[in-house]
Amino acid sequence: MINQNLPRKVAIVPCSGIGKTYGSVSREAAYDVTEDLRPDETQLVSLAMLVLGDKSARAALAGAPAVTIDGCKLACATKMVLESGGTVTKDYAVLDVYRRYKQFKPQGIAELNEGGQRLARALAEEIASVVDSTLVGSGGEKNG
Amino acid sequence: MPNFLETTIDKFIFKVADDRFYNPAGLWAQAEGRRIRIGLSDFQQQRSGDVAFAEIKPVGTQLAFDEEVAIIETIKVNISLGSPVAGSVVEVNPAMTDAPEVINLDPYGAGWMAIIEAEHWETDKAHLMNPQTYFTHMKSLAQEELNKG
Repeated sequence: MINQNLPRKVAIVPCSGIGKTYGSVSREAAYDVTEDLRPDETQLVSLAMLVLGDKSARAALAGAPAVTIDGCKLACATKMVLESGGTVTKDYAVLDVYRRYKQFKPQGIAELNEGGQRLARALAEEIASVVDSTLVGSGGEKNG
Repeated sequence: MPNFLETTIDKFIFKVADDRFYNPAGLWAQAEGRRIRIGLSDFQQQRSGDVAFAEIKPVGTQLAFDEEVAIIETIKVNISLGSPVAGSVVEVNPAMTDAPEVINLDPYGAGWMAIIEAEHWETDKAHLMNPQTYFTHMKSLAQEELNKG
């Protein structure tokens, strides 16, 4: 029997900044959530595809809660989700997250250092908690 | 409220407050009697990027001219900043611990870093740049950055 109250998957939308350490942290965290921590409850949505107006990317946001991860204060991910008609349940800025985990200093771009990877993991775990509470709050069941 | 010298270089607008003095590293110093308030210039904060952490020498620290008064960690770099004035740190802006991004948001106002009670302000001031000189210096640095691509 299908639970009609079960919400759609939570969309995870990271920064698309290439060549920026904090952008890399945002994407690494998004992969951690969508591929490892909560693969059944989340789906990765490409910011670049949203910018291009891709129908499937926009469709992924329709009626689904979204968590955005921005690499800088321009907050492109959050702005683009809102412009695309999505609902941002929680927006993260990597710099703010780093301030909470000062011991994990991110460095590197194509390949993050250990600090960057650990920061991404810490962020991913925070997002996983948000996903859980979002699904529970929407009447769905969580598996994680 | 200060007036500003202002220039646009590429897509960036840089402002220099005209009511204080500057050292080459981009720290400003503003006298309030013997108490000298210090902070980071608009150009230096934009050049350095978003501030993640600001560690300011604690109250009571005795500083020589140009001795390290702060370390700023931004998303791009870690910078050690030399004091534009010799003296004793008498106050540190609590926002430096709680919300150091205020340096980026309001570098000449709420983003001040510390107040130093000067020992020889007139002597130190002679080694600093006035706003017009710093403005010229800053434009030269900004142009260099631009030319690097």
